[in-house]
Amino acid sequence: MTLLQWLKLKSGVDNGSAKYSYGDDPVLGFTSNRKHSERWVNSTCGYCSVGCGMQLGVRDGKVVTVRGNPDHPVNLGKLCPKGLAEHYAIDAEDRAKYPLLRKDGQLTRIGWNEAIDTLVKRFRKVQEKYGPESLGIISTGQLVTEEFYALGKLVQLGFGTSNYDGNTTLCMAAAVAGYKRSFGSDGPPGAYEDLEKADVILLIGANVAENHPILCARLEANATRTLIVADPRVTKTAMMADIYLPLKPRSDLALINAMLRVVIYEDLYDKEYVERHTTGFAELRASVERYTLEYASEITGLSTDLIHEIALLYGNAKTAFIGWTMGVNHSTKGTETVNAINNLALVTGNIGRTGASPFSITGQCNAMGTREAGFSSGLPGYRKFESEKDREELAGLWNLPFDRIPTKRGLAYPDIIEAAVSKKIRALWIIGTNPLVSFPNIDVLKHGLANLDLLVVQDGFHPTPTTELADLLLPAAIWGEKEGTYTNSERRVSKVNAAVSPPGEARSDFDIFLAVAEKLGCREELFAGWTSPVDAFDEWRRVTAGRLCDYSGITYAALEEHGGIQWPFPDSVSTTPEVARRLYSDGQFQTEDGRARLLPTQWAPFPEQPHPEFPLILNTGRTVEHWHTRTKTGGISILQRMSPRAWLEMNSVDARKLGLRAHDRVDVISARGRVKEVELRVTEIVAPGQIFLPFHFVESNANQITQSAFDPISREPNYKQCAVRVEKSSPVHT
Amino acid sequence: MELPLLERAQVGDDAFYLSTAAGTADGVQASFCGLASTIALPPPPGPGEQYRFHFDMTKCIGCKCCVVACNEQNGNPADILWRRVGEIEGGTYPDTLRHYLSMGCNHCLEPTCMTGCPVDAYSKDGATGIVRHSADICIGCQYCTWNCSYGVPQYNPERGVVGKCDMCYGRLTQGQHPACVSACPEGAIRIETVKTLQWREAYRVDANSPGMPSAEDSLSTTRITLPARTPRDIRKVDLDRLRPEHPHWPLVVMTVLTQLSVGAFTSIWLLELFGAHAHRGAALIALLTAMVALCASTLHLGRPIHAARALKMWRRSWLSREVLLFTLFAIAAAGYSAALWRQFPASPLLGGLTVLFGLCGVGASARLYLVVGRPTWNSPFTILEFYLTAVLLGSGCANILSGSSATGRWGIFASGVATVIVAAVKLWSLARSAVHERRSSYSLLHTVLLNQLQSRLLLLCAGVLISGIAHAGWATALGILLLCCGELMGRYLFFVSVVPTNMATDYLSVEAA
Repeated sequence: MTLLQWLKLKSGVDNGSAKYSYGDDPVLGFTSNRKHSERWVNSTCGYCSVGCGMQLGVRDGKVVTVRGNPDHPVNLGKLCPKGLAEHYAIDAEDRAKYPLLRKDGQLTRIGWNEAIDTLVKRFRKVQEKYGPESLGIISTGQLVTEEFYALGKLVQLGFGTSNYDGNTTLCMAAAVAGYKRSFGSDGPPGAYEDLEKADVILLIGANVAENHPILCARLEANATRTLIVADPRVTKTAMMADIYLPLKPRSDLALINAMLRVVIYEDLYDKEYVERHTTGFAELRASVERYTLEYASEITGLSTDLIHEIALLYGNAKTAFIGWTMGVNHSTKGTETVNAINNLALVTGNIGRTGASPFSITGQCNAMGTREAGFSSGLPGYRKFESEKDREELAGLWNLPFDRIPTKRGLAYPDIIEAAVSKKIRALWIIGTNPLVSFPNIDVLKHGLANLDLLVVQDGFHPTPTTELADLLLPAAIWGEKEGTYTNSERRVSKVNAAVSPPGEARSDFDIFLAVAEKLGCREELFAGWTSPVDAFDEWRRVTAGRLCDYSGITYAALEEHGGIQWPFPDSVSTTPEVARRLYSDGQFQTEDGRARLLPTQWAPFPEQPHPEFPLILNTGRTVEHWHTRTKTGGISILQRMSPRAWLEMNSVDARKLGLRAHDRVDVISARGRVKEVELRVTEIVAPGQIFLPFHFVESNANQITQSAFDPISREPNYKQCAVRVEKSSPVHT
Repeated sequence: MELPLLERAQVGDDAFYLSTAAGTADGVQASFCGLASTIALPPPPGPGEQYRFHFDMTKCIGCKCCVVACNEQNGNPADILWRRVGEIEGGTYPDTLRHYLSMGCNHCLEPTCMTGCPVDAYSKDGATGIVRHSADICIGCQYCTWNCSYGVPQYNPERGVVGKCDMCYGRLTQGQHPACVSACPEGAIRIETVKTLQWREAYRVDANSPGMPSAEDSLSTTRITLPARTPRDIRKVDLDRLRPEHPHWPLVVMTVLTQLSVGAFTSIWLLELFGAHAHRGAALIALLTAMVALCASTLHLGRPIHAARALKMWRRSWLSREVLLFTLFAIAAAGYSAALWRQFPASPLLGGLTVLFGLCGVGASARLYLVVGRPTWNSPFTILEFYLTAVLLGSGCANILSGSSATGRWGIFASGVATVIVAAVKLWSLARSAVHERRSSYSLLHTVLLNQLQSRLLLLCAGVLISGIAHAGWATALGILLLCCGELMGRYLFFVSVVPTNMATDYLSVEAA
């Protein structure tokens, strides 16, 4: 600014009217001139897995605005506040722009050649010294499916390690494992349309109003539904409910089993469906015998009448829908709880029909993609490691010898970290995730990372708490800068497009993977002829043909035309993409006998019970303005303005007992650590004895105090229900 | 059958559709949910009607899409929110409810932002009833930000002017929904037309809500649909937060110095009348003080170069009247000073005029702070405090000019005691007030601002004491210096300890002070 300009501004001659001017834009209508765009690029939102269609407005090589795609079947033009401000993530200050290598303790800028060379050579060196399995890879749910597919092949077939998992294990692993056990395959069976068509909707541990707000419109549009919300915290979603179930933490499994008992013992179940499409009914029946209303009431804290009423409502519904998220998954009983939900849906025949489904509402924009293509907990295309036929099929598709296909999954995410602690994993490649904020009981992770010979972090942002620890940082393109596909919660594949180029020397993850493959010498073998994501997608279509997640009828062009297509969509498909699609409509499941399995499940108390030293139960969760560890949203000023810092919710009863008042700064302490100086919110939203802390904020990192307890089946962490105490922060710091 | 829908699309969200993607006639949209709603805009208001917002609290889930969409629409920085979402909460676990308020401007029937504006930057649009603000006319005095009991107008320091929600006037008049309406996934915000005459009665029920200031002040036109059942104790979630307001330093200086100057001229005039002393030098200093005060006041403006515009609305705005009266005071004071120098016989007359304008100016100055949106200011204490400052500092001047006469000292003592009493009674009444904002002012003063309050009283007492005991020239000078400092501190507290009425905000919100 020149002195003259400054004077003009300060004196008031210039009131900034040029900057703050409006005009007509052919797409946006009358709006701020700064938002007017030269061209619009269709894409899909890169935050959660609702999968909203977006349009990115580009001018002068910058994304100046975004809007919901009015024609996208998921959101019809609407977006949540994160989506509405997503373009600011692209121009955020802390984007990773150049490859950095730690030299003499300092991250130093290097060229891409050196970066890829270092990665390959040093990974190979570690593998030569400690064995191929000493290399671990932790990826994400944020990449495009094409990248997940490429990464899976690169890791498992190129580097030859099976210790590869995604941060999706921190979030949806219980659902994945639960689906596999019940139905023989992963894959949420329902469609969003079910929310509009169901008679009874039961949401368990799912705060959609906060976390998937665009789905709420569908709940609202369903005028005849009875919405039941089970959550220990009176969330925004709970307040929308027709019937709210303020159950005790982690008592959901007992509630569902009690509902099952009522449904079975009072003869409300679908005998024909059970007979024809399931196995294990007798065992299930026996297993729920102990879940009398009285027993469940004792565990859940709900009245027997209420539990009975809910069971009858669900049992008598023509179409009943159960949605769940982290309240169920973040638990050592997560998989079993998912199975119990599936049991309930199966015995009442509430699956595969309009309005009737058990339905996990996924977290990340493409967690589904990594589950389909991932090569971590299963082989690509929902194939099983243990199935010889599946492995043969893949070997054939890839023209590889049969014995190159791995026969069992490697370590899951928490076990990779454990292996780093015990020095079995010596090198780690972390892609698009920020475990320093997101992994439970963070000190264990820090210990593990400190043990490594080499930590490579590939991310769109730097610095993040994780990139700061990296030995090698690879700067990656993010949403808005690359092409591919995302799959949302209802298995809808949508197109993601590049609107602008990545900043500095950042490259798409796809390019990075291919460059690594090139250096590794496996590009020809694994990625022959691949130059852009569409090449991967074409192969992916062939790999999924005939599978449950059949993409063979989906092309980029069709995605552009329809804005999103639900799989399975085989090339032989007879219906149009517009028709809502569900899995298992024919009652045929992905098990060997084609029948769904009814699996007995048993409730158990959560692992860390409160006791006099740590008398409160900690619950964690989100706020609508932020995404995960805030690498993306923390730099967006409007979101920061609306949600600037963490807070701790505590009931007035506990606050009085502790002599605490609203806005006091408090420390939250568990046996693992301490979260310091969180602002107290005294509220009736949480029950006495429970507190709630959002997990987004590194400054008040909830994972300082969460526990290392994992679901034995899915390996998902039990983030919730830690025993803690709260103290007023010492005034020295305030 | 298709026609009405087509028409709706054209008057409705039409401009939000990409022309290239128009081919969605295959029935997809019809099968979908509330997201697809293309609720038409109501027809333009007829005679006796205006546009208004309808906010449906039962639909709002507090997602704040409207807030982001508003800022995108208007290109505002993040610390300026023309649409805000606040929270109210009540009940006992688990029978508890939290509701949200999403509010832009209420486009009131009697907009207080407009009636207070000294430069006529606001207008109520004849055709739509929208309260519009002109950034070109605005001088950035921010008086509207005090006048609006909802805290709607917000000052943009980058521009030096205020801005606010204009219901997306430019969109509405082209048949496009406002940005907030378009963005809301729940359909909680709508535009309606309202018959203004009927609304003058109906607003009592339909414009009021928990978490909102009374619609009485300005007759808000926003219709709020409340849930059928709300907890009896539902209240703003931000009630316990204590945050001092902006001190407005130029105004601290300006008000105290004008009062000092008025007090000084009053002393000079009285001494001329009754003591037959022409204090020419003192008059010059007092005149200089007035000039400094007036210059300081322009520093408060976002656009000081247009300060003269503030005279315009003297028929309506107390701020204009203050500016006008102090301008006349300054002119009269200059004339009076000149007369004293030149020993014009008519100087007492000019002096009288100076004092008259000055005292009226102090009155106008105090009166302009009596706004409904600032309950702590909106009391006779404000008038008392402003005049007491003039009397106290005037007595201090008289004390110097009369060589520490008994009258001067007595004046300081009496006005000093009065100041302490007023301060004590004011604190007492704030602490016991039924009005939340007043009680919060008290809480601020006895916690966050306690040190400042104590030093204010200490300075006052020290000033009174020194002026009372010591007779030397330096002591009287020191006395008035201490008194001035005490008054400046007092005025600072006046500005920072006020708690505005406002709509509920969110729990952690950082409102621009």
